[in-house]
Amino acid sequence: MKLKTMNKKGADKILTIYWFVILTLIAGGIFAMVYVFYSTPYDVRGIEGEIFAERIADCISRQGIIDQSFFLGKDFDKSMTGEKFTKKCNLNFNVEEGYGDISQIQYFYRVEFYTLKDLTKANYSIYDGNINWESDCAIKKDSKDYTRLAQCTEERLYALNQGGEQYLIRILSVVGKSAKNVKS
Amino acid sequence: MENLQKMLNHNKKESMKLVPYNFFPKNRKGQIGETITWIVATLVLIAILIIFIFASVALSKVKTLKTDIKANAADSADWINAKTQVAYSISSVNKNKIQLWISQEGGIE
Repeated sequence: MKLKTMNKKGADKILTIYWFVILTLIAGGIFAMVYVFYSTPYDVRGIEGEIFAERIADCISRQGIIDQSFFLGKDFDKSMTGEKFTKKCNLNFNVEEGYGDISQIQYFYRVEFYTLKDLTKANYSIYDGNINWESDCAIKKDSKDYTRLAQCTEERLYALNQGGEQYLIRILSVVGKSAKNVKS
Repeated sequence: MENLQKMLNHNKKESMKLVPYNFFPKNRKGQIGETITWIVATLVLIAILIIFIFASVALSKVKTLKTDIKANAADSADWINAKTQVAYSISSVNKNKIQLWISQEGGIE
């Protein structure tokens, strides 16, 4: 009779240990799921690129007319460089670590002006930022490491100059920041 | 007396016969069934947990904020397109050609 009682107690202990193991398994599983999901950052570079391009477009064309600072008489003012345009538009690229280090800049933009006479070759072009990012735009979306590359956004618009000449404008905005937007 | 001796000998012989060992005695069958149920239940639980972990990994890979401004142009402002429309109001000469060129955007070279 005594022996039977002891066996029962042992079975209860084993069952208790089993329940603790199961509880730990479930808790560990839930922790793993939450950790995996929330440790992955949201990739907002697509939206950031669009906002960046819109900001540039806003600086180039107002009420359908291209800003006069781009022109010197009838022609484009060649002294209007990317750096000058960046300053004029109050764009600030030094937002990441390595402030002031050009190679650490996470942004790039290129603005190209086309005339209706030749839509294949840009009449005038300006750019600023980290030019190393531009090459990432040539890589196709279905490539394996696409998400780790800089995100490119292209916007096109139509505007006129003060003299009524028609121009087509292509804006390419590139956002790097893969370290903050993609899980390594 | 002789009969009794015979009977005893017979019983001795009978008891000497090899009886196969019963690994699953009747009184233990219920316990084994219950244990197998628990083992299967644990395996099912682990399988479900693994499926959920893989699902969360898959979901974490598509954590991308996307807005298709052009698709929602009716309820939100597509500022760049608005600029083009304003320019058309000034001059819409070669509108088709311009529109065709603009529609080719996204083909980043």
